[in-house]
Amino acid sequence: MASICLSTAEHKYIVESIEQDYRTDGRSCEDYRQIEVETRNLPNTNGSSRCKIGKTEVLVGVKAEVVDVDIHYPMHGKINISVDCSATASPQFAGRGSALKEEEILTVLNLLYTSIDALDLASLCIVKGESCWLLNIDVLYIQCGGNIFDAASIGLKAALHSTTMPNVTVAGEGIEMELEISDDPYHVWRLNTALCPICVTLYQVGQSFAVDVTEEEEECSTGHIHVGILSSGDVSAMEKSGAGNMDPEALLEMIDTAVKIGEEIHKQLDEHLIAEGQSATL
Amino acid sequence: AVVSTQSTGASFSSGTRMRKLVTDKKSTEVSVMIQNTFEASILLEKFPKSQIDIFVQVLQGDGGERCVAINATTLALINSGIPMKDYVCACAATIYQDTALLDINHLEESARGPLFMLAVMPKSERIVQLQLDNRLHNDNLDKVVKQTIQGCKDIQVLLDRKIKERTVEAAAAYDIKPRV
Repeated sequence: MASICLSTAEHKYIVESIEQDYRTDGRSCEDYRQIEVETRNLPNTNGSSRCKIGKTEVLVGVKAEVVDVDIHYPMHGKINISVDCSATASPQFAGRGSALKEEEILTVLNLLYTSIDALDLASLCIVKGESCWLLNIDVLYIQCGGNIFDAASIGLKAALHSTTMPNVTVAGEGIEMELEISDDPYHVWRLNTALCPICVTLYQVGQSFAVDVTEEEEECSTGHIHVGILSSGDVSAMEKSGAGNMDPEALLEMIDTAVKIGEEIHKQLDEHLIAEGQSATL
Repeated sequence: AVVSTQSTGASFSSGTRMRKLVTDKKSTEVSVMIQNTFEASILLEKFPKSQIDIFVQVLQGDGGERCVAINATTLALINSGIPMKDYVCACAATIYQDTALLDINHLEESARGPLFMLAVMPKSERIVQLQLDNRLHNDNLDKVVKQTIQGCKDIQVLLDRKIKERTVEAAAAYDIKPRV
């Protein structure tokens, strides 16, 4: 994000517009901008997606490789999320300037996927106690225009939904065990993304909260809270960031709203992904 | 003006997943190459005491990334209104059994034949950048250079067409009909 300079008048205008539930672009505090999602756009990957919310654009690529299991979780696979803020998203990301931002985003994404149920890691195990799949998930920001966390979480779910995993045949035992990974593009299995969470970030601006803020609105906010929501409406993760303090009653009300919004996003995203999947096989 | 370039590939851009760092040797080489190419073509004297930053992000790689980076940068510079001496178009070629092959993909690159890349200003046919990897016999050099320059000229036609289309569209928003 290029550094936003707001005058005192603009600042006041934005804060008051959110408090009155009529934002500068006409949306209410609970409205998202147009969300565009497309999947399977990167042929070099096992699964990929592109998510665009307003000006924010994120590419997510999922690549799978076979590794040894973690000794603490010998019957589960692994995921490794990494975030890259491209210099094309903002000049401040040139060189190593993106490190802090990437850390911030990575913390939130890891928070969402920390549970072994989120992606059914047990299904990624190939040979119990020996080998498993490691999913390398790379999130690349091409453009930052506010609400970067939600875009990444939607992109992640879409990419994981579109991921095709090759079948593995295990031959032999013990030291002579060999894993044969099938090359057949039709002999694949899909991941279960039913429990993948979506992040809805609530920004506190003045006395109210807003979702899907633009960069200017983010500049006026005094803190935000990330809420990880499952398609069933359950809350899977929460984290507050920023320097402001929040009123607990207003916050609880807003989290209820966020859950409703999250459920709606899940529903529409699932419908879109299924429709896209069907037209892809035609 | 000073030109500063940064070129990186996404971690998922190549066949094997590699966490690409900005300070990666390969990325730095490509960055320097692009910087040299455009330092030679941008009218730098028009922007005293300024820096022009060029950021290239490779999303998907299937051979010829350097050429596409140069072509994309030309378009971006034109889009940003920075004046240049001419378009800079790049193309790569190889020789296989005495035939010159233009615009090789990743599979063809892995055959380890000569990889000849040229960045050219099409109108004057002046060479801005030249890179040759692996061995190329002197007898074949003339053929490869001619073919590659023709390839660059073909690309210039496409870039020009797109720029003119876009200019007409953008001008229409202001009710202007430019002569193209």
